[in-house]
Amino acid sequence: MTDTPATAPDTSVDATLRALLADILGLGEARAAALTEDSGLFGELPEFDSMAVATVLTEMEDRLGIVIDDDEIDGEIFETYGNLLAFSLRKVTD
Amino acid sequence: MATSEHHLRFEPPGAPHATVLIVPPLFEEANRTRRTLVLAMRALAARGFAAVMPDLPGQNESLVALEDVDLDTWQAALAGVAAEIDGPVLVASVRGGALIDHKAKAAGWWRLAPTGGASLLRTLLRARVAADREAGVASSVESLTEAAKSEALLLAGNRLSPAMIAQLGAAEVQPVEPLRSVALGAGGIAGTPLWLRAEPGEDAAMAGAIADDIAAWGAACGVI
Repeated sequence: MTDTPATAPDTSVDATLRALLADILGLGEARAAALTEDSGLFGELPEFDSMAVATVLTEMEDRLGIVIDDDEIDGEIFETYGNLLAFSLRKVTD
Repeated sequence: MATSEHHLRFEPPGAPHATVLIVPPLFEEANRTRRTLVLAMRALAARGFAAVMPDLPGQNESLVALEDVDLDTWQAALAGVAAEIDGPVLVASVRGGALIDHKAKAAGWWRLAPTGGASLLRTLLRARVAADREAGVASSVESLTEAAKSEALLLAGNRLSPAMIAQLGAAEVQPVEPLRSVALGAGGIAGTPLWLRAEPGEDAAMAGAIADDIAAWGAACGVI
């Protein structure tokens, strides 16, 4: 993603999240790999509707081995890829 | 009830080895996978199998209201469809379809990426919460779960009865014998989880892999 070497869990969470978005949004590997921290998700990608939000949350739980409390979810998490990644990293290291 | 529903059916050129009863995933996941599953049915016909995909009561062309059915209804309907088939039956279910496939009498079962009902229900409830949030309405999975004890809920376009929601939340895949349970990926089916895809996709190679795997399992079950 950047020239700065990421720690192992960061890299694997990032890769898992990109694969999950590719599966759910049908992005294809190239578009998924091209997502940056600032890439808009909800409201930006037409495929990212409320059903996709729900699917992303359930798949994040399954693939990252986390439990997401629905109180933790607000609109901001899905605004950008960076926000979603930061949320995932926080949950994984909790 | 079984006979009043539309069945999509493909026949091989000669007498079929067996009939593959396709049980698609539940709700929206059925739409996302239908195209690829129908390609798999055509591929099965080319391999000498008949393939049938019945509408579940309350789904697709059914005249029954979805609100009037639950998982018990679907299990009984599939058992009815299987009972009407001449010759050996192989049941092939995908995802949540594996939650309703065990009442049918069959020579063998094949399940792709079976999943529990709780996770399907959680996703449906979350979709409603996300849609409510967009509309400026405050709701939560907890409040919806409570409401579902006494009233039908509209979840991602599906009006589900309290019985359906309760059964779905508790539904686990039931043991059947003989069973081949396969996942996506190495040692299973090469392909992508189309059932998650926001826009329905199509994967002809995956359909071929599904047909090959079911045909090989049919041979292992002794129907060829």
